[in-house]
Amino acid sequence: MSSPQDEPLRIQPGRVLGSPGITRRSLLRAALIGGGLTMAGIPLTYAKDAPTATLPFKRGARPLVTFPQKRPLMVMTTRPPQLETPFHVFNEHVFTPNDAFFVRWHLANIPTTIDPSAFRLHVRGHVRRPLSLSLHELRTQFEEVQLAAVCQCAGNSRGFFKPRVPGGQWGNGAMGNALWTGVRLRDILDRAGIKPGAVQVRFNGLDQPVAEGTPDFRKSLNVEDVLNDHVLVAYAMNGGSLPLLNGFPLRLVVPGWYATYWIKMLSDIEVLNSVDDGFWMTQAYRLPADPCGCVEPGEHPTRTVPIGRMPVRSFMTNVDHGATIPSGKPVVVRGIAFDQGYGIDRVLFSSDGGTHWQRAMLGHDYGDFSFRQWEARFVPVAGRTYHLQSLAINRIGESQRFSARWNPGGYLRNAVETVQVKAI
Amino acid sequence: MPGFTKQQGLLILWVGLLFLSVTPWVMAEPPRETPLSVTLPSDLMTFQPGPGREIAAGFCLICHSADYIYMQPPHSPQQWEEIVHKMQRAFGCPIPNDQIPTLVEYLVSQNAIQPASSLPRVAESSFAGTGTVEQGRQVYEAHCQSCHGSTGKGDGPVGRMLIPPAADLTATTKADRELLHIIQNGKPGTAMPAWKGTLSPGELTAVLAYIRDLARSH
Ligand code: HEC
Ligand code: HEC
Repeated sequence: MSSPQDEPLRIQPGRVLGSPGITRRSLLRAALIGGGLTMAGIPLTYAKDAPTATLPFKRGARPLVTFPQKRPLMVMTTRPPQLETPFHVFNEHVFTPNDAFFVRWHLANIPTTIDPSAFRLHVRGHVRRPLSLSLHELRTQFEEVQLAAVCQCAGNSRGFFKPRVPGGQWGNGAMGNALWTGVRLRDILDRAGIKPGAVQVRFNGLDQPVAEGTPDFRKSLNVEDVLNDHVLVAYAMNGGSLPLLNGFPLRLVVPGWYATYWIKMLSDIEVLNSVDDGFWMTQAYRLPADPCGCVEPGEHPTRTVPIGRMPVRSFMTNVDHGATIPSGKPVVVRGIAFDQGYGIDRVLFSSDGGTHWQRAMLGHDYGDFSFRQWEARFVPVAGRTYHLQSLAINRIGESQRFSARWNPGGYLRNAVETVQVKAI
Repeated sequence: MPGFTKQQGLLILWVGLLFLSVTPWVMAEPPRETPLSVTLPSDLMTFQPGPGREIAAGFCLICHSADYIYMQPPHSPQQWEEIVHKMQRAFGCPIPNDQIPTLVEYLVSQNAIQPASSLPRVAESSFAGTGTVEQGRQVYEAHCQSCHGSTGKGDGPVGRMLIPPAADLTATTKADRELLHIIQNGKPGTAMPAWKGTLSPGELTAVLAYIRDLARSH
């Protein structure tokens, strides 16, 4: 089978359509209006008020239900809550609003009352001075840092795997971009004093298993991956306290890494002098141990490694599969792109299923870990069907894949998405 | 912009402002000092009737809601069996091995027949039933005993393993209405399931009558 990946990209020279680019004004408008119509106007076809939204795969019906501190979100499961952000939200905001931010818990024993004055963050294990920090101490004794970063579930888009795999059946909305405020994990670990021989740092939150036999949800990162400027212990997102379902009062923020490491209700940091051998590191969230992270569909990998950073992705946010678009005048296609923190170098857009590509205009740069908005234009001819595609490339030249990779866990999807529309 | 709350409006406003500043720095609202308390909704759906349903209701609702099963793509019998084994071995689901074949058949029947859109949705039941202690005993033995135990003290084989353990129903100080509410809607944050879609109003009053009877004979 010849994959389109083997063919060189044909980028049409000089055909960057004359958009004035994404101006602050148009972005502001988008933020304020909520993306119902863009200037050249493709109407959104998502039914925003429908009580049920349906993802485009079998068993994709999701009731829209309001959970505490949330607007109606797509319920994948109720107990523990796993809630997906309806995709139109990504067209409306570059920063996903707190009440629309996706929710994903593993264990149903989630504290429903948190008293901030009684809460303590413990730092212990292979350190010189174990700590027990109040929220007040955390806020006042360490330097405050703010950073934009995408939080994406490792299983985001799992529902699109072919053949399908067990696990949470997410569409593309198990992700969000937020401006996180908190303190550096490194500063906290410096205060505690990591002893020589430390290998990993293990993180635990207040959520607990329901039954004795279920391993508590804890995740670990290598020491060298957390001692940097941007791994945070965050107490605010988008300027407000974390919603309880997103981890109030503290959550680990690991920019560029999948959300499985972003422990919510973070209460315990344990420095280990050996590699974590717990269930959630050794049995779950594992990838085939090769650079692709994939195997032939249906096969089982012989060796696996823990999942880590996110490959580059892009999405179109204002066009819906099967929609009709007006012809004869430029249509603006909008979207977002992100990667593991090298930053987006360019986004290419094709209206003919990948034969011809033009460079999209990039929006404001909120930092290497943030969503980057983009927009492209084309002039549809009445009666024709268009296969719209976007392809993001990051600053080290990593691009999205054309053929979707497959692995039994349903991880790492970053294939170029195709949206089919018809001009009338 | 209809439908936006004040809070959402403010949020959108500051997102808008962010676009204007080159290096965004958002002033966080003052830190929350008072306790934050939420109530999570109870399960939206339950297992549908069919042979093996009691096994699923007894063992597959302990740790998570039934939508965990219904959101899955249609799996093969072998995949369902693997999933059940994973629940048993990795997560501690107390299902006995001899019940697994019937359960797997039930799961296969559940995930292959109806499209997800026709999944059972639990309607708010208007509560208007009557029921006898004897009917209640049957309901209790079928649905409650594995957790609450034969004497109602919360020491059933499954109930003992839970965190928090199943309630001692002989020691409750709650009024009938409160107990009914819990039986109908479940208890968020615990393994106590919501029964309103499963039990008829008559069965609900019957099982309450039986619980009261247990407490008296205790
Ligand atoms: C002792 C606790 C427990 C019991 C009992 C239990 N499960 Fe699970 N189940 C879990 C946990 C933990 C997960 C994984 C949660 C996660 O990754 O978010 C899970 C996940 C699942 C999933 C999602 C797919 C996957 O592999 O993650 C399915 C399907 C599932 N369970 C089916 C069942 C069935 C069927 C039963 C009844 C035999 C059952 N469960 C009983 C704890 C339990
Ligand atoms: C899977 C285990 C399980 C099953 C099955 C179960 N319960 Fe429960 N039940 C619990 C748990 C756990 C609690 C909460 C304990 C706590 O709050 O600490 C509870 C609490 C209750 C309470 C509240 C008692 C109080 O004083 O607050 C009532 C009433 C109750 N259950 C009745 C029932 C009835 C009736 C059935 C069967 C129709 C049933 N339960 C089935 C686990 C179960």
